[in-house]
Amino acid sequence: MVQNEKPHPETGFDPIAGVLALSLPGAGHLAQRKYKRAIFIAIGILGLYLGGLLIGGLSVVDRKSPRSETRISFIAQAFVGPIAFLTDYVHQTQFKTTVQRSGPRGGTLPPVIAPPGQNRMNLSLGKVNEIGVLYTVIAGMLNFIAFLDALLPSVRREQKKEEEPIRTTGALDAVLEKGAS
Amino acid sequence: MTHLLAYRPLIDPLDLHEVWFLLLIPLALFVSIAYKAVRVDDMKTFWPAALWMAAQIVVGMIALGTAFFVVIEWLVPIIAPTPM
Repeated sequence: MVQNEKPHPETGFDPIAGVLALSLPGAGHLAQRKYKRAIFIAIGILGLYLGGLLIGGLSVVDRKSPRSETRISFIAQAFVGPIAFLTDYVHQTQFKTTVQRSGPRGGTLPPVIAPPGQNRMNLSLGKVNEIGVLYTVIAGMLNFIAFLDALLPSVRREQKKEEEPIRTTGALDAVLEKGAS
Repeated sequence: MTHLLAYRPLIDPLDLHEVWFLLLIPLALFVSIAYKAVRVDDMKTFWPAALWMAAQIVVGMIALGTAFFVVIEWLVPIIAPTPM
């Protein structure tokens, strides 16, 4: 049987879904009416992000951290969307306590994070901090994957579902099937 | 127990320094849920695929940890013994 096979692109292009996916995990797929996918993406990514914050506290998201690892981690965390920027804003403005240091000859040195007694929050340290950062970084990286999937949805996958496979039973196949039965 | 009662979510870190490795399990589960939600063709196979991937991550990490332990604790002292 000769099939009329039109070459179709592997992926589509949906910029609106892409922007939505970057603004809230799962929103891109929700806009494409892939409800189940959207729910599970949101559960996975927001669960990781919130889990990281619960484990390590707000200090795991710190754009201006004195620790370069935490500062660089914010690049990946930012892919979770505005939630990451909001978390950082709340951390910087509401909880981070810095103290001014005086330098030599009456000058000033860059401010440092206040010691535990003077700080409004308890900073996480060691493995708990690392795991909190890891959770939030992976959340950002996974949302980047979800963003790409929403921006460039797989057309072939959707078409496969719609197109039922057509059984092409020719005369020879019919004879063979009869013989087998 | 008292330190858990004083825990303020998002402000204080969880005191899990002794059992930090258990946090790998929810990590693997959430990663699998988000990843398989994007990857699976048919959502009917979602939960088996996600749970299988989570199990693979956990077993893989345990295997890696064991391998590194064997290399560092046993093989390295044999290959390059510390001079007395």
